[in-house]
Parts: sequence; C-alpha cells; structure tokens
Amino acid sequence: MAAKDDFIVEMSDIDKSFPAVHAVDGGQFTLRKGEIHSLIGENGAGKSTMMKMLYGLYRPDGGVIKINGKVMENLTPSISISEGIGMVHQEFMLVNDLTVLENVILGFEPKKGVKIDFEESRSKINHYVETYHMDIQPDKRIDQISVGEAQRVEIIKTLYRGANVLILDEPTAVLTPQECTKFFEILQELRNDGKSIVFISHKLNEVMDISDRITVMRNGKYIATVNKEDTNTTQLAKMMVGREVFLSIEKEKGNIGAPILELKDIWTSGEKELSKIRGVSFDVCAGEIVGIAGVDGNGQSELIEAIAGLRKVEKGQVILDGQDITNYTPLQARQAGLTHIPEDRNLRGLNRALSIEENLVAWRFEEKPYAKGINRNKKEIRKFAERLIEKFDIRPADPTVITQSLSGGNAQKIVVAREVDADGKLLIASQPSRGVDIGAIESIRKILNTVKKEGKGILLVSADLEEVLALSDRIVVMYEGKIMGIVDSEDATTDNVGLLMLGERPDDEEKEVS
Amino acid sequence: MNDVFNITLIYATIRSATPILFAALCATVTQQADILNIGTEGIMLTSAFVAVLTSFTTGSWLLAIVLAIVSGIAIALIMAVANIKYNAHICAAGIAVNMFALAITKFGLKQFLGTAGTFTSPEIKEIPRIHIAALDNIPILNDIFNNWCVTEVFGIVMVVILWFLLFKTVWGLRVRCVGRLPMAAETAGISVRRMKYEVMIISGVLGGLAGAHLSLGYSQMFADNITNGRGFMGVAAMNFGGMNPIFVWLGTLIFGFIDSVGARLQAYGLPSQFILMLPYFFTITILVLAMWRKGRLSEKAKSAL
Repeated sequence: MAAKDDFIVEMSDIDKSFPAVHAVDGGQFTLRKGEIHSLIGENGAGKSTMMKMLYGLYRPDGGVIKINGKVMENLTPSISISEGIGMVHQEFMLVNDLTVLENVILGFEPKKGVKIDFEESRSKINHYVETYHMDIQPDKRIDQISVGEAQRVEIIKTLYRGANVLILDEPTAVLTPQECTKFFEILQELRNDGKSIVFISHKLNEVMDISDRITVMRNGKYIATVNKEDTNTTQLAKMMVGREVFLSIEKEKGNIGAPILELKDIWTSGEKELSKIRGVSFDVCAGEIVGIAGVDGNGQSELIEAIAGLRKVEKGQVILDGQDITNYTPLQARQAGLTHIPEDRNLRGLNRALSIEENLVAWRFEEKPYAKGINRNKKEIRKFAERLIEKFDIRPADPTVITQSLSGGNAQKIVVAREVDADGKLLIASQPSRGVDIGAIESIRKILNTVKKEGKGILLVSADLEEVLALSDRIVVMYEGKIMGIVDSEDATTDNVGLLMLGERPDDEEKEVS
Repeated sequence: MNDVFNITLIYATIRSATPILFAALCATVTQQADILNIGTEGIMLTSAFVAVLTSFTTGSWLLAIVLAIVSGIAIALIMAVANIKYNAHICAAGIAVNMFALAITKFGLKQFLGTAGTFTSPEIKEIPRIHIAALDNIPILNDIFNNWCVTEVFGIVMVVILWFLLFKTVWGLRVRCVGRLPMAAETAGISVRRMKYEVMIISGVLGGLAGAHLSLGYSQMFADNITNGRGFMGVAAMNFGGMNPIFVWLGTLIFGFIDSVGARLQAYGLPSQFILMLPYFFTITILVLAMWRKGRLSEKAKSAL
C-alpha cells in the first residue's frame, strides 16, 4: 500500500496526563490522504484527547506529531488550522445568538475596508453548500436551527477554513438513523474529493459501515489499527472492551399492572421552540418500561423536568398512582413516590464536591435514622452507604471518597443506587448510560430490569435508540414536543422508529396516536 | 411647571447624561466579552483627578484628556492582569480598584494640589465648548444645539463608533464570540486572553474620557469621590441597554433626564436630600425594570402556550 511518507498525519508515542488521569499513554495514529479512519474506544479511552492534541487544544507531554511530514511542536489551533486540520467537536462550537454566517466565518473573516465583507462570505459558503449538497440557512441564528443543520454548519465551517483533514468527534450521536445515512453520503463525497476524515465513535455498526481503516484505543492505550476488510464488529468490541460483551439482555415481559404514571395533555415551556411540550399524553404501567425515543432536543428533557417538578406544567395533569402531582416541588414529588435518575448527573445527580455517602443519603438526610436532632447520625449514614456500595458494586468501596474523582460509570452507579433504593412507585431513568463504560452499562440495564420485575413503572429516556429498543416494552417517539407515535416493542425496529423520530409516519403504522 | 419642563431641558439632559454615557460605554465594551466591569467607577475617578491635575499644571485640556486616558488604561490593566492572568474574580478586582481610586485621589489631592475635599481654580483649563454664532438668534435651535462641550458631541459619536465596531467589524464579531462561547473562539484560532486584554484597554480609554469629561467638561473641579456612583449608573445603563451601545445611550438619557428634572425641582422647595437620592433610586428602578423585562421576555419566549 502507500509508502510511509504518504501519511498526512502521523502521531507516535503520544503521552498526555491530566491532574487526575493518565489520559493517553503511548498513543499511535496515522492518516492517509482520502481515507476515512475511525478512532474507536469506550468513553475515557482517550480518543478525543488524542484528536484535541492534533488540533492544538491540548499539548502532549511526550511523543511526536507530524503533519504533512513536518514535525509539529507547540501546536495551537491556529497553526493546526493553517496546516489544514479541522475539527467538529462533540459539543458544537457555535455561538447561539450569532447567525450561521457569522459563526462560519469567525476567525477567517473576509474584509472590505474595516468592515466584514458579508457578500464575499456568503458566496464562499454557497460554494461548499453546492459542492457537497449540504443544506444550510446562512441568516438564521444558531438557536433557530435543528441539530442536524448545526452539524452541517460545523462541517462547512471547517471546510471554509481550508481543512483537508476533518476530525469528527462522535458526529452521529445527535442524528436519527436516516439522517446518519445522509450524513455518511456527505462524508463519502468529501473522501472522494481527497479529504481525509477521522471518525471518532463507539458505535461499531457505523464504524464498519464507513471506515477504510480503524484504530482501537482502550484506557488511553493504543490497541491496534486494522483494515475494515480484515475485521468485524465482534472482534472490534473485544478489542475495545478487552473481553467479550453481552449487552443484549433477554427481554422478559413483566406482569403489566395498573397505570402508575398518567400524563394528561401536558403543556410546558421549552429551552428551544422545537422542545416545547404541546399536548403530550401517555401512561406508564406497573411492571413496564416505557422508552422515550427521539433526537435530542425534541422535548424529552423538558417533559421529564415537568414530571419531576423541575419545570412548570403550564397546562395538563401529572398523575402518579392516582395522586395528582402536577407542579409539585421535586421533594413533594419524591415523597409521592417518584424517583429520578437525571440526565446530567453532574448537574442534578450528584454533588461532586461531596463524598459517596453524602450523595447516597442526599434526599433523606433529614429523616430518621440518618438525622439525630439537628445533627447527622454519621454511624447510620455510614451503615446505609456501605450497604448500597456493596449491593450496587460501587468502586472504590470507601464511602468517604469525594465523587469528583470517580469514573463516569461509578458516579452513575451512585445515582442509580440512591434512586433505586428509594423504593418509589415510578423510576424515571434519563440517559442512564450516557458517558459510562460498557461494564457499567451492563449492570445498569440489569438493575432496570430488576426494578421492572418488582412491579414498578419505569420511564426511560435515551438518545441511544439501541438502548431504548433493547429495554422498553413500549416506545413513545417524540418529535418537536409532540408524540409522533407509540410503538409496541415487538413491532419496533430502528427503521420505523427512526422514521417517526424524523417526524414522518411510516404508512403501515397506525395513524395519529396523540 | 414651565420652569421645569421647557426646551432647555433637552440640553440639560444631554449634559447630565454624558458622564454616565462614557461610563456606560466603558462597561458595555467589556460586557460584550463577558467581563462585568464594576471598576468603571474607579477608572473614572482616577482619570478625573489626573485630568484636573494635568490641566491645572500644564494649562492644556487636550494633554489633560490624553493623560486621563493613559491613567484610565493603567487602572483597567490592573483589573485585566488580576482577572485574566491571575484568575482573580472580576468583581473582587473591580471593588479593589474602586477603593484604591478613592484613596489615591484623596492622597493626590493633598500631595500635589495641597488641599483636601475640593479643588477649584481659574487656572484649570476646561474642555472648550462649540459656539455656533449662526444659531445665536434662532430661539429653539440655539437652546438645544449651541454651546455643546466638545466631549458631549464626541460622546454621541462614540456611541455610533462603538456600535459599528461591535456589530460590523471583524474585531467586534470576535469580541462577541469571546463573550458568549470562548471555546468557539479558541477553536477558531482566536486568542481569548488577547481579546480580553484589548477590550479592557478600550474600556480604560472610555473610562478615562468619562473621568476627564466629568472634571473638565461637566464641571471644572475635582472633589473627593466626584464620580459619586456615576460609574455604577453606567453599569446599570449598560444592563438596561442589553450591551447594545444605542440602547445603552437611551438608558443614560433617562438618568440624565431624571437628574436634570430633579435639579430644577429643588426650586420648588423639595428637600435637596430627596433630590440627591433620585439618581440612585432610579438606578435601582431601572435595573429592576430591565431584569423584570428580560425575565418576562425569556419566560414568554419559552412558554408553549
């Protein structure tokens, strides 16, 4: 194949430590002209860190980075950009109240005298829009466009800056299956045009779909680089995790009982126009997992917040086991039997400055026996924490450890332990496996199934359609703050749920549900 | 009531508003880069003193303005270094600078001008006024447009310049990006620190102008704490105007109007303490209104109904 000097990017023996973790240890990566090279690994494997070093955002502690054959020292983003490297970050780097046009030209603005030459910018952008068939609206503000469009804006932004190498950090996390297909077509066009693409992901099917070569990382270490033809998903998964993985749990139909949660025509405010909830009604029964599927930002977060008392219900009723809990405070809702694994564990799930035991007892520290008068009963809290740590296998098993230093998986287990042990009637699990390793995903999914078997209702929200399909008994698909359809798990496939997520009803589906 | 609400009130409003206007612009430019500049008061006070001192000793109002600007930049840079380089909280840095300004001007007044409390002298060269002879005999226009102080005209010019800078130039786009999503600027190869230093220096220039105008244009004297909260009113007007120089200017005009009306009402026997309270009362009122309006708007924008 290509000779060694054909690599446009060569990273060897890269080393990078942060105060708490050794993020990359002996990282290797090469990139050829006109290839799609996937970089895969679990959360925290060091994929993003590697690429952020190539982009000049982090400085490596050791190792060599070569771009176009030149050894690069002291890389900064502006040097990287001038060498033709472009990066689309997992969290979009788009300024909300600026226009699409302003965001694209930022840092590389054409000038007319002292003014920005908006005409020139527009025609340059249109060139890329037409070449790669990427539809964007230059004069809309970022907060007025959809996530899919924002992603196209990000890609055009990097092309506009003259990128030959595009680093895409988990680009498909925010897309529906159908949007993904379209997105991959764009990537292939870019490749055929001689651009090189680094595709960071942990979704193996996509990786097998799109890549020419694949590099696997695990715990910051380089594992292997393989050609797509020479591998398969099972082998990749094994390299990624270091052992065989069994994510698919045998789904058991539980004993579905009476409705635990009834939502009656809920209306609530939204952070974006498309995420305002407008007239949502459905039930969750005892012994049932109802999964909410939908592209992020279609109102899932708002709906959950409204149920949990974190957002005002403007119209409609939330009924929990016969009791009207509409607009209860979060504590009142909890006392009524609602438990909640929030979507952002660092924002609402944990107090990262406090210890494991303090987080575990967080919502009942005022109750006996955990309180003794105005004091905490440290002995009882310790006993309680130790029991949960053992039951849910939280590591380290020391209740006094500050949660800040914990891995994503163990931090999430603290939240799960607290909520499941609270023994409510309904468990809301919002993005329960976001940012946790595969081992923790396995155990969290097992726990959810156990809770279901105990006859509780579970409302599951996940951006990962596979997860929703794997766990749910019924799937509620949300689109632009409304319910597009409710599908029984036997009938649900990525295809028909994916279409509903896009706001289209497959013809053979039942008509209008809400 | 004709003594209060008549045609001369228009110029009186502009006159009272201008010192606050410069202060408000000083706070606006930094706020666009997400720096809450409560040190405006200190920048203004220091440069007001430097202006009087220079004007008195050299007899040049222009040199006085230049040195006032230099001292404004110096004070702004103290905050900038503390905040940008050493990560001090900007409010702490601002408070420190404000207290420092109070003390250093008091000291300077005693040391260099040999007095305490207030310093006035006919030898203080004031900023000239623009006399348009042709207007002398035209009643209404004369009252409104004649005899403006140079810096009063320049203040309005500055509103336009700053608006243009912020919304039409490359520099402005970058500043606004730095203030809203610094990572986006960083990934576009823009140095966030550098941009922050730049806005702080410009705020020093504007704060310097605010001080020089206050002591050489608005009045011809220096007194302890002559700014008397005008820097903070500028910050309030900046909030009211949502960091847009045009609306910020309108905010300062409201302050100017209230101040002028208040001064005239004194003739009607209202206690002077009450009049003196008015600007602060309205600072709070305007801030509450601005926040209430902002809250209402965002609530309405988010509602699904």
